[in-house]
Amino acid sequence: MGLVNAAPVLAVRDLRKQYRGGTLANAGISLSLEAGEVYGLLGPNGAGKTTLVRQVLGLLRPTSGNILVDGVDVVANPGFSRRTIGFLPQGQFDLQSIHVDELIFSVACLRGLARGEARRRTEDLLEQLDLTAFRSTSMHAASGGIRRMAGFAAAIAGDARLLVLDEPTNDVDPIRRQLLWNTIADLGRRGTTVLLVTHNLAEAERVINRLAIIDGGRILREGTPASLRSVVTEQLHLDLILAGDVATHPALLADPSGPGRYLFDQRDLAPVSAWLTSLREDGLLLDFRIGPPTLDDIYAVSVGQKIELEVVA
Amino acid sequence: MNPAIDRSYNPVAQFFQLVSMHLRMFRGQVAFIMMIQCVLSLGLVFGFGYLVPNISDTTAIFLVTGTATQALVTVGLVMLPQFLSEAKQEGRLDYFLTLPISREAYLLTQTVVVAVLSLPGIAFSLLIGALHYNISLSIDPTFALVVVLTIFSLAGLGVAMAIVSPHLQVTNALTQLIIFYVLFFAPVLMPKDQLPSWLAHVSVVMPPTYAADAVRGSLTGLPGTHLARSLWVLTGFGAFSLALSAFMVRRRG
Repeated sequence: MGLVNAAPVLAVRDLRKQYRGGTLANAGISLSLEAGEVYGLLGPNGAGKTTLVRQVLGLLRPTSGNILVDGVDVVANPGFSRRTIGFLPQGQFDLQSIHVDELIFSVACLRGLARGEARRRTEDLLEQLDLTAFRSTSMHAASGGIRRMAGFAAAIAGDARLLVLDEPTNDVDPIRRQLLWNTIADLGRRGTTVLLVTHNLAEAERVINRLAIIDGGRILREGTPASLRSVVTEQLHLDLILAGDVATHPALLADPSGPGRYLFDQRDLAPVSAWLTSLREDGLLLDFRIGPPTLDDIYAVSVGQKIELEVVA
Repeated sequence: MNPAIDRSYNPVAQFFQLVSMHLRMFRGQVAFIMMIQCVLSLGLVFGFGYLVPNISDTTAIFLVTGTATQALVTVGLVMLPQFLSEAKQEGRLDYFLTLPISREAYLLTQTVVVAVLSLPGIAFSLLIGALHYNISLSIDPTFALVVVLTIFSLAGLGVAMAIVSPHLQVTNALTQLIIFYVLFFAPVLMPKDQLPSWLAHVSVVMPPTYAADAVRGSLTGLPGTHLARSLWVLTGFGAFSLALSAFMVRRRG
């Protein structure tokens, strides 16, 4: 070998996809993923994430634009995509009565591993992802979380160079979720590139190297979590649980990422603290937490139209 | 750099792996579906007997071989599209299509699994039908060829139907129309001269006509059958059908 492969693992250039009904699902998306990079793709429902993923996997043909995997044009050669990409689809893919271990083993074989190697890999993954107790559980009978973990194990069973994971942690219990994030981070460190479609920003943040926020088929913002955080760098995040209806402090700005979540200018920290103290003395404050803005805030600010950062500044 | 690229992807090994995977996926249903297929075929053989009093030997041959033909046509044109539509609806089709497997191996798997579920029923109904109506069937090796050609000459249409159909219910409705045609409006359970002339004309371009003729020709050597011609026509339909399914499964929206 010895040759350095300079091409990005995944390069998407000016990708447009217009469905026959006229819907423009991708309106010129460009992104580039280097080896070992964990890249988050965030966006509300209908933003065009799944359309993008389906084109990368060769299930849909782009209207225009290029998709290169390891420098190979996969629009013309979708077979290359499928050999290179391990995929965990979003939501349900009903694999009926196949057992968890049979699924991992079969997919490993279909991904070209010799049977003995596939068997070893299956045992390793069952152990690593804490699935040993569920090895003989059928996919149909397994809980949603176990089904996703099994699908994840199958996706990584074939040493894919690029992993496309669509909402990998949906329905997964907190302990296994941790295991899953650790595994993803570890795969990234060992050179696997990961395209991660997720809504669970708070957790994904720890493994993501870069992310793009997309809506309306376009990338609204792209960068490292730190660089994106600079969008709301003058602000602080407040989680608030109040007893009953209490008028909020005028410095607080409702954060569209969820109820009881607010952003405020860090220069207003003193008056907000004083207000919280008085609420506490009146027994109206059940819980609160102040911290730096989260990726959820950035996401909400990028996608939501309601917040005008300038007003706060 | 990319170990997955240098591996060998043997379509034959993939086919056997996929069949094994599918039998495991449907392990709970295999016996049940096989049994239902037996009951259905048997029901047709006996049921039509009640409908037609004083059955002649020729009619009995049409009933028994027609029932088998109907079941063979069902494999490619009813069960396969239903099976694929269900796979599409339940996310299995996309899942398999994102794996590095040959499209042909995947479609062949679906066809073979559906055939495996149906063949015991077909054999059973032929056996019981022959005993019940006291007709002698010759087990001609050509019959195996007829079975394979009939299934494959229709499987491509079944694949196309499943891929074009927007929903499982649409597929089910279409397949019911097909069964209806085969049972009552095609020279499958009855001789061609019992049909009105326009239906007899339509039957000339319909594969079930040739499947029925080939089944009768190979199992009974009934006078008036054209086994060789039917085999050629089924081969032609088969080639068209395979090309169609290969095209359909590569189509990307």
